[in-house]
Amino acid sequence: MAPEDKTEGSGSGRPPTVGGAHTLAANYLLTPKSHQRTDSSYSRNYSLLDIYGTESPLEEGTALPERGLDASIMKELDRLDFHDTDNSLTLDEPEIASPITIAFDRKSQIQPISPDNIDGLLKSPYDRYGFKKASAHHSTTKEEYNEWFKEYSQYSLRRKKKWLLLMKSNGLGLDNDNAIPTRFPPKSDKVKKMIRRGIPAEWRGNAWFFYAGGNEKLNKHVGVYDRIVKDTAEVQNKDTEVIERDLNRTFPDNIYFNDMLGADPGSSSTTINTDSLPTAETGMIKCLRRVLVAFAHYQPQIGYCQSLNFLAGLLLLFMEEEKAFWMLVILTERIIPKVHSANLEGVHTDQGVLMLCVKEYIPQLWSILGKTFEGETLSEDKILTRLPPVTLVTSSWFMSLFVGILPIETALRVWDILWYEGSKTIFRISLTICKMCLDNPEFQKARGTSGGGAEMDQIELFQFMQNFPKIILDPNFLVDNCFKKIGGYGFGSLPQDEINNCREFVSKQRSKLNSKKTSSLATELTDEERKTLISSSGSSYNDEDGSIHDVYGFHRSIMSGVVWNKNMSNKMKKKFSKRLK
Amino acid sequence: MTLRKKTLLKVIILGDSGVGKTSLMQQFVNNKFLHQYKATIGADFLTKEITVDNKVVTLQIWDTAGQERFQSLGVAFYRGADCCVLCYDVTNEKSLNNLTSWKDEFLVQSNVANPQDFPFIIIGNKIDIEESRKIPSLSKKLNNITNQGFGGLNYPVFETSAKDSINVEAAFEVIAKMALQQEELNEVNGGDVSDDYNDAINIHLEGNGSGCAC
Repeated sequence: MAPEDKTEGSGSGRPPTVGGAHTLAANYLLTPKSHQRTDSSYSRNYSLLDIYGTESPLEEGTALPERGLDASIMKELDRLDFHDTDNSLTLDEPEIASPITIAFDRKSQIQPISPDNIDGLLKSPYDRYGFKKASAHHSTTKEEYNEWFKEYSQYSLRRKKKWLLLMKSNGLGLDNDNAIPTRFPPKSDKVKKMIRRGIPAEWRGNAWFFYAGGNEKLNKHVGVYDRIVKDTAEVQNKDTEVIERDLNRTFPDNIYFNDMLGADPGSSSTTINTDSLPTAETGMIKCLRRVLVAFAHYQPQIGYCQSLNFLAGLLLLFMEEEKAFWMLVILTERIIPKVHSANLEGVHTDQGVLMLCVKEYIPQLWSILGKTFEGETLSEDKILTRLPPVTLVTSSWFMSLFVGILPIETALRVWDILWYEGSKTIFRISLTICKMCLDNPEFQKARGTSGGGAEMDQIELFQFMQNFPKIILDPNFLVDNCFKKIGGYGFGSLPQDEINNCREFVSKQRSKLNSKKTSSLATELTDEERKTLISSSGSSYNDEDGSIHDVYGFHRSIMSGVVWNKNMSNKMKKKFSKRLK
Repeated sequence: MTLRKKTLLKVIILGDSGVGKTSLMQQFVNNKFLHQYKATIGADFLTKEITVDNKVVTLQIWDTAGQERFQSLGVAFYRGADCCVLCYDVTNEKSLNNLTSWKDEFLVQSNVANPQDFPFIIIGNKIDIEESRKIPSLSKKLNNITNQGFGGLNYPVFETSAKDSINVEAAFEVIAKMALQQEELNEVNGGDVSDDYNDAINIHLEGNGSGCAC
């Protein structure tokens, strides 16, 4: 018994998706074509990549229809899938517009979208999470936001129905549609796909916590958080000093973090006015302080690192502070270890891995950024010790996990996937964004007019990569590019163990090169030494064509699965090109 | 020999977290001020075209993260800088005292040819804040830091308010002039030869004509 889709077929008043007022690029991003695809075509398309990209036994059946579900529910899902393609959907005219104060009502946590409150959400200058729709911190206007949200809210309603069905089929049915579950279905291929399509916003906190293993962590440490908070209440040190400075610099455009925003809720204009100091501390700022100070105390090898404020801040919008604290611990222990440590070693490692991936999978991009400003091609050992400048952009993606980098709904979708699938998500999404930048006509145009030269190319790329993610308003656009079997980039099949192996390799290389650096400071290595150094780490040196391939041997063995895929796709390409002839 | 298409001057802004680096850059480039910028993670840059000595130049201004640990990420973009701006907050004594380490850090990472001649400039920001909150006997302390004989930070000092747009324009005018001089000096001396020169980890590449055969 699925709830009826009330909006079905109710008319022609649907606003056009393409408005003349926007730039071409914005339209492209706000209303991607891929949006029109059905979920079933998304999930059941078959691809070569599927076979090799499996991550767990659960995923073996990727290409097959789900078998575990009750037949009637399957039917129901298919029926709903059908509605996904129904373009005649329209908004119900709500009788009463919901009050603008929606965003201020903290008690109710995240307000579920219902046909009745969409209009209110559209009118409000704030989104469901309390962020200003238009602000100086991103480039979207309220109108652009609303144009996207009109469509996305309908999408969210449809997804919610599917989630309710999924819960039911797993014996986790809810008393009513507005109840917030605390338990979720066990990991499966079906669940993974559901998560990639987005968790209902009001369930997010609980779902993240559940899939990240938060309950286990919390149960093992009953009362610990409270104790730390008590112990650290009076602490003042280097960390707390930086924390204090960052509290108000975390989400200055969010109503829960900056009470001055609430003072002028009428400013629905698209002009920016964050020019007001918070007068009193919001409760959220107090929570944020406690969590960050407690964390710095609990993880002394990390202490406080800027960007943790964004992570903790976002968690706090979705869960109570004790849970947010443990999620931060899980994140820094298991998902992105050492990324925030005192020497940021994890950042260097992960950026090394990312650059090796770019070199392997997006060679066109590598031909731009794998160079010094003087145009010299970076050799592999340099990639790992002196990262290309563009890693200053990408390292913030890893440190902030896209918070403040991608528009909020898109960042939240990445988080849905991240907590469920782990750190490979960050690499997959990063590579997808990189490729999207490269393919963007605006970037190609900018390159063409920049006057050339390796430096200008890199500068253009740097700036482009810094700004481009801010306009990916629609999460599905990014997720489709990443995971879609046909039409996507294929980075969604980069497996975790490849990432792990590569992380290990990079980390070993770095420590070797660093110890070499200290032991042979100011003396240059001979070629012989260099060869030994590189081959000792199981890589072969190939001096035929200079420096770029000198660790190619390693590379192939580590990325074997995907390299194999690449070979396959080359074969396929050849086949097709023959046919075309 | 590579041809310079246009004069691009690279300026790096350094200083403790929260002294107002982002605000200064935003005020100069976009003439705007927000009370709260997000904390800068990694680095960011903006460009602005201005005229110095009747010459049109493009200033590329790099804004950096202020927390100490982020310095390990700095290597990549310090190189090739034409001027370095050392910032402190006139209400925060520690940020003033840290200027020397910021300068040292820059010189180590940037690998400039003649460290003693490299153009630095000091900016004390937030002069709009009420007198009582400023560092006590600020000018004396500032003097101590700038006039310690050899090794002191004997550089031009500007006191600014990014908020009220006081002295920001003037400071960047001087920055541009200094950067232009440095750039011209580099041209005369054969460009960026200093790059890679004594980087211990830069392992010599055998004869594949790496870059700077000027």
